[in-house]
Amino acid sequence: MTSETMTQSFETISDEAYRDLEAAVGAEYVSREPGVLDGYTWQPTINDDPAKWVKRPVAVVLPSCTEEVQEVVRACNRHGLKFKAFSTGWGVYSGCTYDNVVQVDLRRMNRILEIDEKNMYAVIEPYNCGAQLQAEAMKLGLNAHIIGAGPACSPLASATSGWGVGWDGVYMSYGHRNLLGAEWVLPDGEVLRVGSLDSGLGWFSPDGPGPSLRGIMRGSAGALGGLGIFTKCSLKLYNWPGPPHMKTEGVMLDAQTEPPEHMRFHLCFFPDRASLDEAVYKMGESELAYIFTRTAVGAYVNTFAPHLLQNVSRTRAFRDVLSKTLKWGCTIILVGNSEDEIVFQEAVLKEIVSGQGGLSMETMQAAAIGPMMVMNFLRVSAIPMVFRAGGLFSTALARNEAWDTQMDWAEKGEKIKQRWIDRGGILDDLADNPFMALYEQNTWGHCEEIFQYNARDPKHLASLEPLFVEFSVAAMEMCMEPLSVTDARLREVISPMMGHYNEWQKKISLFLDARRAADTGMYCDEVDIDLSKIDPEIRETLDRMVAKLTWSEEGPPS
Amino acid sequence: MALADYKRDMEGCSRCSSCKWVPFNQIKSWRFAKNCPSICRYNFHAYSGSGRMIIGNSILEGRSELNDSVAEIIFRCQMCGACDTACKVYRDDIDLTEVLLELRAYCIEQGELIVEHMAMIDALKREDNVLGEPKARRGEWAQGLGLKDINSETCEVLFHAGCRYSYDPDLRDTLRGQVRLMLQAGVDLGIAGAEESCCGGRAYELGYRGEAENYADDLLSRVKASGARTLVTPCADGYAHLKFLYPRMGKELGCEVLHVTQYLQRLAQQGKLRLRESVPLLVTYHDPCHLGRMGEPFLADWREDKLQRPMSLKRSGRKGIFDEPRDLLTSIPGVELTEMERIREYSWCCGAGGGVLEAWPDFALWTANERLEEAKATGAEALVTACPWCVRVFRDAAAESGLELPVYDLADLVMLSAGITETARA
Ligand SMILES: Cc1cc2nc3c(=O)[nH]c(=O)nc-3n(C[C@H](O)[C@H](O)[C@H](O)COP(=O)(O)OP(=O)(O)OC[C@H]3O[C@@H](n4cnc5c(N)ncnc54)[C@H](O)[C@@H]3O)c2cc1C
Ligand code: SF4
Ligand code: SF4
Repeated sequence: MTSETMTQSFETISDEAYRDLEAAVGAEYVSREPGVLDGYTWQPTINDDPAKWVKRPVAVVLPSCTEEVQEVVRACNRHGLKFKAFSTGWGVYSGCTYDNVVQVDLRRMNRILEIDEKNMYAVIEPYNCGAQLQAEAMKLGLNAHIIGAGPACSPLASATSGWGVGWDGVYMSYGHRNLLGAEWVLPDGEVLRVGSLDSGLGWFSPDGPGPSLRGIMRGSAGALGGLGIFTKCSLKLYNWPGPPHMKTEGVMLDAQTEPPEHMRFHLCFFPDRASLDEAVYKMGESELAYIFTRTAVGAYVNTFAPHLLQNVSRTRAFRDVLSKTLKWGCTIILVGNSEDEIVFQEAVLKEIVSGQGGLSMETMQAAAIGPMMVMNFLRVSAIPMVFRAGGLFSTALARNEAWDTQMDWAEKGEKIKQRWIDRGGILDDLADNPFMALYEQNTWGHCEEIFQYNARDPKHLASLEPLFVEFSVAAMEMCMEPLSVTDARLREVISPMMGHYNEWQKKISLFLDARRAADTGMYCDEVDIDLSKIDPEIRETLDRMVAKLTWSEEGPPS
Repeated sequence: MALADYKRDMEGCSRCSSCKWVPFNQIKSWRFAKNCPSICRYNFHAYSGSGRMIIGNSILEGRSELNDSVAEIIFRCQMCGACDTACKVYRDDIDLTEVLLELRAYCIEQGELIVEHMAMIDALKREDNVLGEPKARRGEWAQGLGLKDINSETCEVLFHAGCRYSYDPDLRDTLRGQVRLMLQAGVDLGIAGAEESCCGGRAYELGYRGEAENYADDLLSRVKASGARTLVTPCADGYAHLKFLYPRMGKELGCEVLHVTQYLQRLAQQGKLRLRESVPLLVTYHDPCHLGRMGEPFLADWREDKLQRPMSLKRSGRKGIFDEPRDLLTSIPGVELTEMERIREYSWCCGAGGGVLEAWPDFALWTANERLEEAKATGAEALVTACPWCVRVFRDAAAESGLELPVYDLADLVMLSAGITETARA
């Protein structure tokens, strides 16, 4: 085979730099083979670029320990290369955004270093996945937060570097809230230990004694690889009164989990939004639920039976049943420490639901749905099935706020989505597909608007960018921090309206990374977006927002 | 089909990494959570099912080229199907195993050959078996058993021994025992003896499709001549090829195809095989990939948009042979079965398949040792399986690593219980 078949050219790494990487991790664990590098370049998920390839790294390394990570980072500094951390790499964020980047695949750093049963925390490395941590924790009567991206993802990546929302948030909170300590290789290769760890006092407290840098290293959305590499972290674990192993036959659609004692799986439906809202607040006040999410019927059907939804969506009556009659619902898993407790919890739930004119259906002990679905919620195991309908999905309007604000966003998102469904720009999921979760017994919560599309349909691919802009503008209109704070395309527009957050992030980056060795594309840099093609009405709204909300040198607009 | 015909499958990869893990509902520990030997051993994403699909897509898009090292990556894979099965737990529109097979065929087309595989194919062409043993000695194992010779007689049941069983002296007692169990039950059994050839499946997996077709034609004509209504094989590899590959190539054998464990289980159920003696042993059972998930029969080709493919036509691996071996095993008095964490369609591979044993024996043994450790962790006193390739590599791996765990073919225990004295060795 000759290189004539190669029609594209890419940046390459110098032999000298490559040798330094080999010296850092061992020759077996470095590659610059284009086919290998493309394994890190194909990043179709949550990527609006129809090509789905991101920048190709010039090399990939597989360090086995913190010292090797440091050596790699130092080599990058010496040779004017950038680096980008990669844990399990699901989603466009782990991809490189610059030329001359070395991808640091942390796959060999995969251990659970410790589970401290008494103090309820685990110390883990980057490539330990959510399912592994949960399986080991459950054996000890503990449980670990798993984000909505599912159990294949790295709890370390999530807690240290990006978001952290999941259905178990009502009981187990949000990514960075669970972070109790971190070992951090800074962009110059030095190691910083965050929290009590730095004082030699162990992994139990992120805020000292010792430096508390959670705000800087993580913030709300995470630095997404832009501030160095986290090599270890400790995460808070929670009570798990269930069995040491959730005994399950089958793998997914055929899965049947043995109903554990003291566990109930409820599907609740309400007559209207107001009653759902009220019930959710009351559930929070009663400190109810181990798992909670809004039931998005279209999403459920599209995930578990996409062909069915395609047929149903053509039938008015069925469509109405799914999208109207079952619209206002939530899915709840209750777990008790004893039979008495679960009986009490269930009684409280029933009273709340019936008090709002709702219906509640227990499906764990009394019906087949619970045994089939329970692992999907406890382990978040069905998430890759979201891709069954069309091959890909994306998300918008994702932020954390109070429940009723989220419901406003969900309603707005539904309207936007319906227009794009009507135009044939995305798949029909009945439009109402918000991914909603609560944190900490509903002191706050999360909503995002999921949309599914057919990755092989050019019309769908062409919709991605305008849809992104429309959602982003809608977010600003609703005084909402758009998901696009982590999207380089809109930072230039959005940052001035949000206190120039981006300039502050750049200052942090420069302070920690004088040589600009970290790939900061996902963290604080900007790329141009062609706004000339967007819908004139949306453009007008955007211009109006910019004029109204942009901060001056002195501070916020009056 | 050509590589380009699978572009949509390759582009469908969301890069979710499910193909690297046991289906998530079934992950029971940190230690045994992973399913793909190749990525576990070599770590770069390119060594996963997803990574290989990305390589294919990258080549088709002119982003990278096929060269020696890329071909090595493509072939350092057991073709065990664990990635495909895991992907299909969640997806309907990606046929990962088919992409892997297509990539291998593409390598051969482009002249990117693995030396050890070439040697194997040369031996196959010369001696009609993948071990390069003399063709004339293929039927020697059956001496004195009084089996019908299908070259001159017809029979009800054709026994296809397969390459490994025909020649591996260590497995001979097992093979003869299987046949004696069937004869004792009164089965009208015939073999092709020295005229038996490889089924061609291994050639197909290595990308040599022309050879595979020839061998399929060969077997087809033998089955026809034998008049057999049933073909029984003890080779799990061969079983999968006869059940899936042959019909897919349009080669209908025109008879029922059974693995020997299925047949023996049937005989036991019919009362024709009596399992009387107690074999007091705590065992764990290893599902051979090609009897289990890869042994799922061919369903139908689906040339339309795979997003619209009915679930019933998806090759999910779940219709493979999982229950019969377990039923047979547990019907032996005294035998107690304890399961490993990775079983059935998400079983970990033995390491021998896909041409790995021949080209990279260290990788094959490493993979086998992983499984032996998992077996050991159950507390079992022995590992039982139902494929000669698995038995071979497990025994070699145990010998190499010093891990003390006897490895039996399921038939060995059946023989013991049925009082057949052709003794099995572990
Ligand atoms: C289908 C899907 C659904 C999702 N749903 C949710 C959801 O419900 N909730 C949620 O919170 N998020 C969600 N996300 C986003 C998700 O949180 C991140 O993609 C997640 O962290 C991925 O984990 P990972 O192991 O694949 O990390 P990676 O993709 O490897 O990394 C994520 C980011 O963190 C950086 N990073 C990774 N490891 C390190 C490290 N050791 N040191 C420094 N930086 C590092 C990477 O550079 C990258 O920017 C979703 C993503 C997808 C694809
Ligand atoms: S499981 Fe399938 S879709 Fe997911 S990464 Fe593997 S090949 Fe791609
Ligand atoms: S066939 Fe087996 S070894 Fe090959 S990529 Fe798939 S899981 Fe890995």
